[in-house]
Amino acid sequence: MIRIELLKLRTMRTTYGLLGIAAVLTALDAVLRGSRAGVNKRPPLDSATGLTQQLTITGFGLLMAAVLGVIVASGEFRHATATYTYLATPHRERVLLAKSVTAALAGLVFGAVTVGVTITVGLAFVAGHGYPVVLGAGTIARYAVGTTIGAAVLGVVGVGVGSLVRSQLATVLGMLVWSFFVEAILGGFFNWIGPYLPFTATTTLGGSPLGGGGFGFAGDSTAGTLPFAAALALVAGVALVVNAVSARTTVRADIS
Amino acid sequence: MIEIRGLTKRFGSVLAVDDLTFDVDAGQVVGFLGPNGAGKTTTLRMLLGLVTPTAGTALVAGRRYVDLPDPTGTVGAALEAASFYPGRTARDHLRIQALAGRARRDRIDEVLDLVDLTRAADRRVGGFSLGMRQRLGLATALLHDPQVLILDEPANGLDPEGVRWLRELLRGLADEGRTVLISSHILAEVAQTADNVVILDHGRLVAESPLSELVAGARPVVRIRTSRAEDLSALLTTAGIPATVVAPDRVEVSDATPERIGTLAAEHRIPIFETSTETANLEDVFFQLTGGAQ
Repeated sequence: MIRIELLKLRTMRTTYGLLGIAAVLTALDAVLRGSRAGVNKRPPLDSATGLTQQLTITGFGLLMAAVLGVIVASGEFRHATATYTYLATPHRERVLLAKSVTAALAGLVFGAVTVGVTITVGLAFVAGHGYPVVLGAGTIARYAVGTTIGAAVLGVVGVGVGSLVRSQLATVLGMLVWSFFVEAILGGFFNWIGPYLPFTATTTLGGSPLGGGGFGFAGDSTAGTLPFAAALALVAGVALVVNAVSARTTVRADIS
Repeated sequence: MIEIRGLTKRFGSVLAVDDLTFDVDAGQVVGFLGPNGAGKTTTLRMLLGLVTPTAGTALVAGRRYVDLPDPTGTVGAALEAASFYPGRTARDHLRIQALAGRARRDRIDEVLDLVDLTRAADRRVGGFSLGMRQRLGLATALLHDPQVLILDEPANGLDPEGVRWLRELLRGLADEGRTVLISSHILAEVAQTADNVVILDHGRLVAESPLSELVAGARPVVRIRTSRAEDLSALLTTAGIPATVVAPDRVEVSDATPERIGTLAAEHRIPIFETSTETANLEDVFFQLTGGAQ
C-alpha cells in the first residue's frame, strides 16, 4: 500500500511543484537574509547567532511538507479518487496509515532538500565574506537532521488534518494562516506558550530560534526552546492525535 | 453471487433505499433500473462498502465487500466518471490500480486495448472526454479480471457508437460467464444484454424478474390522438385510469380498454382522432412501474 501511495505521489505534478516552491522560497529567503547579515542590527555571519539564523531558514520547506500531507489525504476527496482507493483497500485505517508513512517519507525529502539549499546558500555567503564557519559540523548536522525529521512529522500532521477536514483549500489556507500568523501572535503575546506551539516546536527541532518561524530571524521571546526530544514528542503527539481522531470520525464517513 | 437483504439507507430525513431485497446469481447479467434518484447508486455503494447501510446486509460471494480476501480480484466496479486525478495519465492511473491487486504486468495494455484507449494511454485524464473517462472506468473495473462486475450508469457520456460498443462488451463479458450488475436509467442499455432486471423507484423494489416475464405480464398500452390531450388525461386520471400526456396531441393509457376510454371521452365531448392498442415493450413496463415517462 505504501508503494501505491508513493506511486500516486510520483505521478502528481503537485509533489514536484511544492518541492520546487520549498526550494525556491528557501533559496530566496536565504539569499535575502545572507545579503543583509551584519547590517541593521542583524548579527553577522561570523557570529554563532548570525550563522544559526542563516542556516535554519527551513520554514518554507516545513510548511510545504505539511501542505503535501494535506494534499495526499484531502486530494482523494477533491478529485473523488477516494472511491477507487477504498475499493482497492476497503480497510480505511490501513489507507490512512499508508498515507501517513508516505507523507513522512516525502517529508524527509522535503526536509533534506530544504536543508541542502539553506546550508549551501548560507555557507556560500560565509565563504564569500571570508569568514570562518563558527558553528561545528556536529551542530550543523544536528540542525539538518532536526529539520528533516520535523518535515517528516509535519507531513503526517498534514495527512491527519487533510483527512479530518476534507476541503483542501480551507485546510491549506488554515495551515498557512496558523503557521504564519496564529502561532506568531500567540507566541508573541504569551512568550511562555511559544515553545509548545506545534509549528514553532518543529522549527526549533532544526535549531531555529523562537519567534523566527524558521524564516531567518529571531523574535524577542524570553522563553527557552524545548529540548529536542520534548519538541519531537510534542509534534509527534499532535500527529498521532489528529490522525487518531480522523481515523475514528471522517475516515469512516460515507463516500457518496 | 450478490445478496441484498433488507438493505436500507437513510440520509437525515431522506430515505434513499428502503428495505431492499434481491439476489443476483452467478453468471447472470442483471439490469438495475430506476429513474434518477431512485437509490441505485446508493445501493451499489453500500454493496461496495463505500456507504454504511442504516440496516440490512449487502454481500458479494457470501461476504461483505470489506471482508473479501481479494476485493479487486473478486469485484470490478466502475462508479463515477470523475474519479480520476486530472494530472495523471490513463496508464499511470491503471498502474496505481494494478498495484492494489494481482494484475499481470501486461494486463494494463490489454485493458487499454479492450476499451480502445491505447492511443490515449499516455495522455492526462484531465483532457479526456466524458466518454473516454467512462472507458477508463471500465478498464479499471476489468483490470483484475474479476468474476463480478458492478457498473453504475456506464453509458453516460458515450456517443451512439460508444453505446453500441458497450453493449457488445457487456454481451462478451456475459458470454464469458461473469456476473454483471449494471445500473441505468436508460433501458436500451440493458434491454439487449440483461437476463433479469431489478427495478427501483423511490428507494423501493418495484420489480425483480426475467426480462421476458416482465414484458409478458405488462398491461397493453392504448395510445390516443386527440386535440385535448391535457383534458383527456385529467378526465381519465379522475376516473382512476392512469394516463400520461406524451405529446401535445397524444395520451398513453395503460389500464383501460379503448371502449372505456372512448365512452368517457364522448360523455365529456373530447374528440378522439385515433386509438391504437399495443403490447407493452420494456420501456412501457418501466414507466408503468416507476410512474412516469423519463
